[in-house]
Amino acid sequence: MPEKPIPEQDPITSKSYAAHYVIATLILMATLFWALWDEAWGQRPWKAFQDTWKERYSAFLNTAHSKSAASENAVEKTPDYQELDATVKKATEDSAAAAKQAREKLDDASARLLAVQSVFTDRRAYVNALTYELETSESQSAKNSKQKEIDDYKKEKATVEFPDGSKKQFTFPQLEETYNDIRDERTKLSLELGDVLKPATDARAKRDEYVTDHMVDLTPAQIDGLKTKTANWDAKIVQINVAEANIVDRCESCHMGTREPLKITEAAMTPKGEKKPDEYAAAFVSHTDPELLQIHDPDKFGCSPCHQGNGRATTSVEKAHGNYEHWLWPLYPKENAQAGCQTCHSADMVLVSGDVQFETINGGKDLFRQRGCMGCHRYEGYDKEPEDLNNIGQQIKQIEQQKKDNLKQTAYLMKQADAAESNEEANKLNEQAVDLRVANSKLDGRLQQLDFQSHSLMQDQKKVGPNLKDVRLKLNKNWIPVWLKKPSDFRPTTKMPNFRLSDHQIQAISAFIWQSGFTDPLPKHKPGNAEHGKELFETRGCLACHSIGEGDQMQGGVFAANLSRVGEKANYDYLVRWIHNARERTRPYCPYEKKDIGPEDYAKKGLPYQFDLEHSRCPNDGHELQVQNMTVMPSLRLSPEDAEDIATFLMTQKKQEPSSYADASFMDDPSLKEEGKKWVRHFGCAGCHEIAGMEDEGRIGTELTFEGSKPIERLDFALFTEPAQRGGKGSEPIKDKDDLARLPDGPASKPWYNHKGFFEHKLAEPNVYDEGMVKSDTEKLRMPNLHLSKEQVLDLTTFLMGSQETSLPQSYLYKPGDSRHDIQEGWWVIKKYNCMGCHQFIPGQKTILMGLKQYQDVQEQLPPKLLTEGARVDPEWLRKFLSNPSLSTTDTNRNGVRPYLKVRMPTFSFSDNELRKLVRFFQALSQQPMPYIPEEVPTLTAKETDMARSLFSSTAAPCLKCHATGDPSHDKIATAPNFLLAKERLKPDWVERWITDPQAVSPGTSMPSGLFRQGPNGQYVFAGPTPPSFNGYAGDHHKLLTDYIFQLTAEEQRRVAASMPKAKAEMHMWGQPPSAVQSGQARRPSQAISGGSR
Amino acid sequence: MDWRQLWEICSAPDNVPIVGLIPLLIFYIYLAVRQARANDQLIAQLEADPAMAKTHHRKTWPFKAGWQKEVHVWPFLLRVEFLGAIIVTIILMIWSITLNAPLEEPANPNLTMNPAKAPWYFLGLQEMLVYFDPWIAGVVMPTMIIIGLMVIPYIDTNPLGSGYYTWKQRRFSISTFLFGFIIMWVSMILIGTFIRGPGWQWFWPGQTWDHNRLIYEVNRDLPDIFGITSNLGKGIFGAIVVGGFYMLGGGAVYSLFRRRMPKDFQRMSLLQFSLMTFLWLTMVALPIKMGLRLLWHIKYVWITPWFNI
Repeated sequence: MPEKPIPEQDPITSKSYAAHYVIATLILMATLFWALWDEAWGQRPWKAFQDTWKERYSAFLNTAHSKSAASENAVEKTPDYQELDATVKKATEDSAAAAKQAREKLDDASARLLAVQSVFTDRRAYVNALTYELETSESQSAKNSKQKEIDDYKKEKATVEFPDGSKKQFTFPQLEETYNDIRDERTKLSLELGDVLKPATDARAKRDEYVTDHMVDLTPAQIDGLKTKTANWDAKIVQINVAEANIVDRCESCHMGTREPLKITEAAMTPKGEKKPDEYAAAFVSHTDPELLQIHDPDKFGCSPCHQGNGRATTSVEKAHGNYEHWLWPLYPKENAQAGCQTCHSADMVLVSGDVQFETINGGKDLFRQRGCMGCHRYEGYDKEPEDLNNIGQQIKQIEQQKKDNLKQTAYLMKQADAAESNEEANKLNEQAVDLRVANSKLDGRLQQLDFQSHSLMQDQKKVGPNLKDVRLKLNKNWIPVWLKKPSDFRPTTKMPNFRLSDHQIQAISAFIWQSGFTDPLPKHKPGNAEHGKELFETRGCLACHSIGEGDQMQGGVFAANLSRVGEKANYDYLVRWIHNARERTRPYCPYEKKDIGPEDYAKKGLPYQFDLEHSRCPNDGHELQVQNMTVMPSLRLSPEDAEDIATFLMTQKKQEPSSYADASFMDDPSLKEEGKKWVRHFGCAGCHEIAGMEDEGRIGTELTFEGSKPIERLDFALFTEPAQRGGKGSEPIKDKDDLARLPDGPASKPWYNHKGFFEHKLAEPNVYDEGMVKSDTEKLRMPNLHLSKEQVLDLTTFLMGSQETSLPQSYLYKPGDSRHDIQEGWWVIKKYNCMGCHQFIPGQKTILMGLKQYQDVQEQLPPKLLTEGARVDPEWLRKFLSNPSLSTTDTNRNGVRPYLKVRMPTFSFSDNELRKLVRFFQALSQQPMPYIPEEVPTLTAKETDMARSLFSSTAAPCLKCHATGDPSHDKIATAPNFLLAKERLKPDWVERWITDPQAVSPGTSMPSGLFRQGPNGQYVFAGPTPPSFNGYAGDHHKLLTDYIFQLTAEEQRRVAASMPKAKAEMHMWGQPPSAVQSGQARRPSQAISGGSR
Repeated sequence: MDWRQLWEICSAPDNVPIVGLIPLLIFYIYLAVRQARANDQLIAQLEADPAMAKTHHRKTWPFKAGWQKEVHVWPFLLRVEFLGAIIVTIILMIWSITLNAPLEEPANPNLTMNPAKAPWYFLGLQEMLVYFDPWIAGVVMPTMIIIGLMVIPYIDTNPLGSGYYTWKQRRFSISTFLFGFIIMWVSMILIGTFIRGPGWQWFWPGQTWDHNRLIYEVNRDLPDIFGITSNLGKGIFGAIVVGGFYMLGGGAVYSLFRRRMPKDFQRMSLLQFSLMTFLWLTMVALPIKMGLRLLWHIKYVWITPWFNI
């Protein structure tokens, strides 16, 4: 029996469930309400955002309104406005009576129309219905009866009650006619009204336009519009839907302020009394770069293609931003936002919008190339030349083989022909043989083209590091192992990364490198003058790429090596050769035979041992040789003595004596060579250096083109997978203090199991994922430590995060086919040779030289700004200039255009390919059409020439005072180019713009402004005194002068120069102390000209 | 003890039903056992008093004067069922509000998730794959399970215990059920959910599921242990072992029925008895094979060119 006593009452029938039901039902009801709330608000958090938006934005608009009203008041007080307003008032008054009358008539017609319309539409509907029945009737009799019915109905009269109370009866046709008549009448009347009102309407439009034009902010009316819009806003999903690209972005459901026409800041959206901006305030700000949105219209591009995140999600902030486990494209963090650019702009080297440079992504792109990342990692678009060369090499081999086969076949056919039985057959065979010979000749043509291409490519191909075949000629032997130990210890800013080599590896590697180097003798040089060398080094422009001095003392660019301790490592004779022409090779390399060609190869063929860009064919096989060092270092066209002086100066740059380095004779140990080769191959040294026997070495790293879209599981966090996923204390794997300082956000505290975290840690300490692992030397991670700064890690991380395989259609990727493509291509060349170290290409861009203190007081000694270079110069001239900046084959130790500059435009020996890209780049950057057709310059009459000459030599604007003339004594003090160059070099229309307002073309130039002023009839008149011959001359004076300059001859120039007084003391009139420019004073024309005229 | 790992597994929306399964199973087994015990006591009481047995139709409580002999479905049954319906509705609503469907990223054919797990109700089958060839674990065994469940009414000759909870009258059926479903099937699901981590490796609860974990394990075949190398020998050896298991097992079941359940045994035909014995032994074979594999690293017992067991 059960332990419990049996109840008295039957428990099944007597037990009450009332309490159970009450409780269960209450809970059920509560759940129901919860479900309703969840449906309406819980799952739709954007509603709360929109409610808050309405509240805060309205408040913000109210304050904006009062500000705007104040500024509108200010505008309304101006006399211009008053006048316009008076016009409006007058026009309104004038037309008031007529307008009233017209309006009355119009109202009357409208009322009548309404009366007729109500009857007419009703009857017409009935007729139409009957007609439909008629049309669909089956039998003829039915049709007839319907027709009769319609006719009867149309005859019936209907009563129309007009607004004035009169009643009229109409049949259907009459009704229709009346209706049409009244309608026409009304249209006519409203046109009449428009005519009557037109003067007033026009005046009002003019006045309103004036207000809009003169208001900095929005007008109160516009703000009122926004206010109404905000007040009437009903909560709804705001969605961008682009079917073509499968973009559905609902971001603006919360980010309501993104596209508002006002600048909305977090502070403005923070409610009063709150100290910190809350979640809402952060969400409501306007887009940080409205200009970007103009180029990338959100209605076409959406938000997520640039920012990532889950555009469709609306249920929570985490979901919408894609910050949850299974969303593959989480929102880019703010600091990495420019990663979004890379996805579509991977073909660009430099991203500029207006004068805004996208520093982060540009920095990343640049670092990837400059630091030699592409030596180990393939990345689409970077360092294409080796691949192209390889491709061409294979084609050449194929064609050679084909040619051989053809020859064999020809010989065979000829033999067959000789033995042929019939004449006919012999002829046929002979013909075939001839065809093959023709085919071979065609192949020869193709071969030539390929050789031509490889000539260009060979010139374009550059290595990040120096040529290690020259190591014996170039380096202090004992220094090499010290350098390999940790390059950044010797030279903190070096590009050479730290490979964490063991002492044994260092010995083996240095032995291999040393033993595989050239041993050719170098010409001996006598020591030069270090003092003069220092001066040359500081003035010739070396500092645009190289830096000197360490720590705070460092000055110059970081594009190339810091030369502070170069005296410890370099061999003087080699240094002279390098400075004189860095591209000069010890021996040419034949990629076809895969060997360095020496004098013996030339001797075999009886050829002189001479190799340069003109003599670039291999003596053995006739194919293109690599005749240059693969460095971007140009030739400064220095005299051998100057090169010696600079080298002598550089050799003094040392902290310790070269002889103080420990002996490294193990480098001659042949037994170490093989092992060294293994390690050199293992660490991929040939990615950046030219090394004997490893010219065709492949890349050792993983391809990074789409690294950002690699599944996170494929990124090996090794033992840090769990800590990275969990975050918190101890999740930071980097222990080294220096490496820790490279992390952009500092040591990890939050979970960092994402692409950003992986890249940042990898870049800060490349072997971090080896930590705690037991690995042999060959298994360890090979990536060297690039000793990057925080900012550089951020840039590269951003670059890699954006390296994504996109699902957007091809048309979204920025691959323009027009002149914008030329700009794209050009930047790659510009960046490759660090042109921006000397020249300014974009307004606001700072060059390295601008920052040097020796130029602070002599701004006119800076290289020219190239902001409008494409509009300024003739492209054909530019091509010639770029290939030989001295513009002379004999007198090369000078600048071709600006001999007065101490800084030298170097000879880069660009390939044809790069010359074309550069010229097109400049043309495209200044929106010049290609090809360029020179403008005809009219020939001046004798009288006009006289007049122009008087302008040219006017004492108020003595052109030849500053411009070079070719007279050496004058050119020493000249600060502007020779006019004789103008004809070939410049574009006439640009010269006109230039001489009227040089400051607008090149801000800060020492060319004076205000030479010409515009007269009341639009004529440009010289601002100085003009001889009487100008009286009655109606042409523009600046055009006259331009035309004169374009037909100036050397003789004429000499004559004018001779006639001018040589007064050096007056130099200051034109050559004003440039500090005036520097200090930001608007450079107005000198007193002689503008004093009176302004 | 990695509490975070444990929490991650238990809180995954996928696993919530399984976490719920554990207390629910315990509760319902407790309820059934309690009821069965009460019923068994009642049966004993009624069998002692034939007069009362004839008047009594209801279970659980002995009859008392004044009570209705029969109660109506409405309202006495339906009111309880309706209450149950309300409570289930509440649970389902709360569940659907708080836990979203566990959706994952778009499928990527180049990337397999690790561990790749079947839905929870199939985890038992997936776990069987560890111990048997795919076609045995995935085809033969499930088919036998379904057929076995279908034939139960035809081989169950015990007329007692229908419609009420009892233990004494159906010891064999209930223990078979408890063993086959509760112990074996449910525990395999629990293993699949809580124990199997990346690489389908065995992780004790609270051990971190480390993707880089490496373990050393060599599985051998039973014939290898006995040094049999020829294929024919292996086939014959396996046949003997497996056959021996069924023979010996069959003998054990026979003696069990003869001794403990003679009535049932007499009611069964030869076909019914041998079918029941075969299915029962096959069911028991599964945990035996699991034990061999987990404890002694024995992969196969019977190796033939066509199938391996």
